[in-house]
Amino acid sequence: MTNRTRHLFPVIAFLAAAALFAPLGIQAQTKANQSSTSAQGDRWLHVRVISTDSKGETVKVNVPLELAEKVLPAIDHDRLHNGKVRIGCMDCDGVDVRTLFEAVRTAKDGEFVTVQSNDADISVTKKNGQMLVHVHNKKKSKDAQIEVKVPMKVVEALLSGAKDELDIVAGLHALAGQGDVELVSVKDDENTIRVWLDSKNVTD
Amino acid sequence: MVLLAKIALGFGATVVMAGAYTFREGLLRVDVDESRVNGSHVHVWLPAAVVPMAIHFVPSRKLGEAGEHAGKFMPLVHALAKELQKYPEAELVEVQDGEQHVHIRTHNGTLLIDAEEPGQTVHVACPLATIDDVSRELADFAPAS
Repeated sequence: MTNRTRHLFPVIAFLAAAALFAPLGIQAQTKANQSSTSAQGDRWLHVRVISTDSKGETVKVNVPLELAEKVLPAIDHDRLHNGKVRIGCMDCDGVDVRTLFEAVRTAKDGEFVTVQSNDADISVTKKNGQMLVHVHNKKKSKDAQIEVKVPMKVVEALLSGAKDELDIVAGLHALAGQGDVELVSVKDDENTIRVWLDSKNVTD
Repeated sequence: MVLLAKIALGFGATVVMAGAYTFREGLLRVDVDESRVNGSHVHVWLPAAVVPMAIHFVPSRKLGEAGEHAGKFMPLVHALAKELQKYPEAELVEVQDGEQHVHIRTHNGTLLIDAEEPGQTVHVACPLATIDDVSRELADFAPAS
């Protein structure tokens, strides 16, 4: 080996090592790019519970809807099988829930139920393809209220299975097709609970 | 002298390559610290790539026992790990209750679980690909339903 090649040896060794490692780096970069691109269209279900007690308990849960859709069918426990929950009381006290829903679905927008009492004001409304339930608990603070917003398409998907079961996977799939929406909002003296859907993978 | 240098370089390159190969899937890390007197301190750091390989050296009787207890959950774990790999950077769960704190997230394709309370901390980091591999291996040992 000449002096010239001897000096070049470490450089060649370094280049050879770099060439060997390069595919790993490129692969890793490609994977990262793919994941950030695929994450753009994802829909996330967020749950946040904030307690106003002295401990200041907070719970934040963020679940990609697609993940829930894929994982739920793998759970086979108790009443949950293949992404469907068996409900024993779909015919509750003689009320056929399915028929009731069908009637509401085909009805025009409007306020279906209004209850005003000393304890609480309750209203059930259908508006722009969404079922809205509003409860104002008068016994608690002035601002204590519960709001539930359920897109009718989601309810329809939930009830698309057999008579005595809820198709959770179909419900999640229908939910993924909805825009950003706040599904549940509960506010009272002790807790604030929010369940909402958007495209962000983190909460603020 | 030149020959020695070449041998050293070859050896060094082999070590580097072997290290890169072994750590290609990241690190499996478990840290448990109890800050009381005689509290336990467990620190396990393993290259994640060796875990699926190590399973092949576990006696099948032991794997059968593990499969019997945990095998039925493995399809769920497998589905979860497989899907979570699509979300390499995600905040999944965060619970803060006074001085107790639990945080579950993914970072760089690794599942990170951090639990802290006064006097005890637990940190677990496991590449999702490893969870996927192990769950598949253990599912094979699950009793037929």
